[in-house]
Order: sequence, then C-alpha cells, then structure tokens
Amino acid sequence: MAVPGLRFDQALQAILIKDLRCEFRSRYATGTLVMFALTTLASVSMATAGTGLTPEFAAALLWVVLFFCAMAGLARVFVQEQEIGTLLGLRLYASGQAVFCGKSLFNLLLLLGLAVLVVPLFVVFFNLEIGNWLLFSLTLVLGCIGMAVVATIMAVMVMAAQSKQAIFTVITFPILLPQFLSGVQAVSQVLAGNEPDGLVFMAGYDIAVIAAGLLLFDYLWND
Amino acid sequence: MKVVLENISKAFGAKLLFEHINAELDTGRCLVVTGNNGSGKSTLLKIVAGLMKPSSGSIRFYSGNQANQQVLQGTVGMVSPEMAMYPALTGLENVLFWTKLRGLAITEAKASELCCYVGLSGNERCRVEHYSTGMKQRLKLAVLLALNPPVWLLDEPSANLDEHGKELIARLIDRALTAQAAVLLATNEAREVGYGSARIAL
Repeated sequence: MAVPGLRFDQALQAILIKDLRCEFRSRYATGTLVMFALTTLASVSMATAGTGLTPEFAAALLWVVLFFCAMAGLARVFVQEQEIGTLLGLRLYASGQAVFCGKSLFNLLLLLGLAVLVVPLFVVFFNLEIGNWLLFSLTLVLGCIGMAVVATIMAVMVMAAQSKQAIFTVITFPILLPQFLSGVQAVSQVLAGNEPDGLVFMAGYDIAVIAAGLLLFDYLWND
Repeated sequence: MKVVLENISKAFGAKLLFEHINAELDTGRCLVVTGNNGSGKSTLLKIVAGLMKPSSGSIRFYSGNQANQQVLQGTVGMVSPEMAMYPALTGLENVLFWTKLRGLAITEAKASELCCYVGLSGNERCRVEHYSTGMKQRLKLAVLLALNPPVWLLDEPSANLDEHGKELIARLIDRALTAQAAVLLATNEAREVGYGSARIAL
C-alpha cells in the first residue's frame, strides 16, 4: 500500500501539464481570449482610423484589452473542473497550494501568450513606437502576473455562485485596480519615451497577492 | 490504518440526513454502508474522505498509535459516480496524472498494465471522451489501483458495469483486503453487501 508524501513540485507540475494538454486539445480558453482580443483591437482600430493616440490613451486601451480578455477566459479554470466533474478528485488528491500555483501559472502562460499576440498587432494598428522594449515587456509581465494570480483566487471564490462570470468581473476589478492603474501609467511613460516609475509598486503588488493566495487558498479550496 | 467514526451526524438545513453513526473501519476489513437513495451513503463517504464536514461528531484516523482528527493526505482513495476523469486526456494519461498528483511515480508500462487489468486493454490510449460509461468506471478503478491507498472508499463501484465488471469489483475488494487495506463500501447490491464484515444501515 502506498502512503505517498504529497510532493508540492510534482503536484504543481502535474496540474500545469494537464491544464496545458487539455487546453491544447480543446482550445477553449485560447479561442475565447484570442477572439476577444482581435475583435476589440479591430473595432477600436477602425473607430480611431487616422487619429493619433496619446500615450495615455494607447496604454489604457492595451490594458483594457488584456484585462477584459483575462475576465473572459481565466474564470474557467475551476468552473471547467466543476462542469466535467473532476473537482472532487482534485480536492481529494491535491493540496490547495499546489492547485493555486499550478492554476496561476497556467493562467499566466495564457496571458503572456495573449500579450505576445496582441502587442505586435497593437503596435501595427495604432502606429506606435516603443523606445524601450525591455521596460515595456517587464511592465506587461508584472501586470500579467498580478492579473493571473488574482483571477485564480477569484475564480475559486465564484465557483459555487450562480452568475459566475458577472460576479467574477465585478469582484476582480476593484482588487486589480491598483495594478491596472500602475500598469497604464507605466506603459504610457514607456510610450512617451520616459522611464516608468511604477514598476516597484507593481512587483510589490504581485508579491502581496501571491502571498495572500498561498495563505488563503487552502481555506477557499477546502470549504 | 484504522478509521473511527464517532457519533457522526449530517444535516442539510432543517433536513437531517443521518445521526449518531458510530463505526470502526479496520485494516483488512470491509465496512458496508447501505440505505435507500438519498439516505446519505455518498455523503458519509465524502465526510470520511474529508471532502465534507459532519454537522456533529468526529472522525479519527489511527496510524500505529498516532491518532489524527483530519484525514491524512495520501491515505484515502475514492471511486464515486460524482468523480470524473479528464475527457480530453487518454485513459493512460489520466492514470499517470492522478498518481503524479499524489506524489507517486509509476511508469507508463505499469499504468498500461493496470488499464488492461480493469478491462481497458486496447483503449488506454484513446481519449476518455470516447469511452462508454462503463469504461469510465473501469478507468476510475485503474486509478484507484495505481494509487493503492490504505483506505478505499467505494461509492456504488459496480454502477454502469456489466457482469464481468461486477466480478472485477469482487476481485479488487479481495485484493484490497488481502493487502490489508480498509474498505468502506456504499452499495445496495446484495452481492456486494456480502463482502462486508460489518454494516451501517442508513
């Protein structure tokens, strides 16, 4: 008989690989995220054709696209487990922290993949010039980490609710607002050719939400 | 591994499902839970698994001389109609996923052997979405065999299984008891009730 020690790293790896494999085969979240991003970018691009965008407006637009894509696709991480009936097994066989980290990493990879697709289109559609790609990418990565982690925590909270999607967006936005505003400010500064000054705050926000997730997730997961 | 249920009650709102359940589940023994539909058989198993809290009472897990109030992670394995496998993964991938999640390293050959043992020979590399209900049930049994836990919780294990499948359940329970596992079996099948050395009637 086997009484294994539940190894955190193995469980995390198993969840991440399983989610990536299932997503690769079903392409549910990817399809939602990509279609939403392309539709939004194309609509705004056509509506503002020929109009030069200010760095502030362009930055806000980029984060709005990323935020609403996250809201459209990331809430599914637990709802899907619930719908197909695998949630009970996951609760029985995995620790809450391994699930939190595995699902957060999966959400982060989805968001970063989306950013890699959206940013070049954004630059081409709106004819933008990005002086410092390194700082621009760093800002996006920090913002995506915050969004992925908060989305994972909120997704498990709304799992049992009736109107999951609506509640998810409503409760996620206020929590993400500080990161959202800092991201908009930092990207607008990079687009204006300046050094962004909110990166330390964004990194601190990420550390705070990761710590909160590690501390709280077991309670949310088991109750 | 011994599991002791002390004065367990469960109510959902004003509806009392069961009360004052006292029982011992010892190594190498099979405890059968019977009762009508809605009497709380599955709920009792979920309480033992730690997936649900009892309204009152407690469950103790004894390992050697040590007693624990909570289910020891890694000690309980469960087959239930409410637990599903991942439809986008193959049978083999499901076995490997659930065992890796538990911190066990089994080879693909071993996982394949277990799939064959439960009657999924030739289908272990097909996606679960293409499985029949009975094949999905057999896959759950393969996962349980791969996990090989000291405490087996079987909720209607022969549901959706044909006659060969029901014989498989008998062999599996026998195998578990021989290996000194403790088996808690919720069923209303007369044949399965006979496997138990004690019984809780809800």
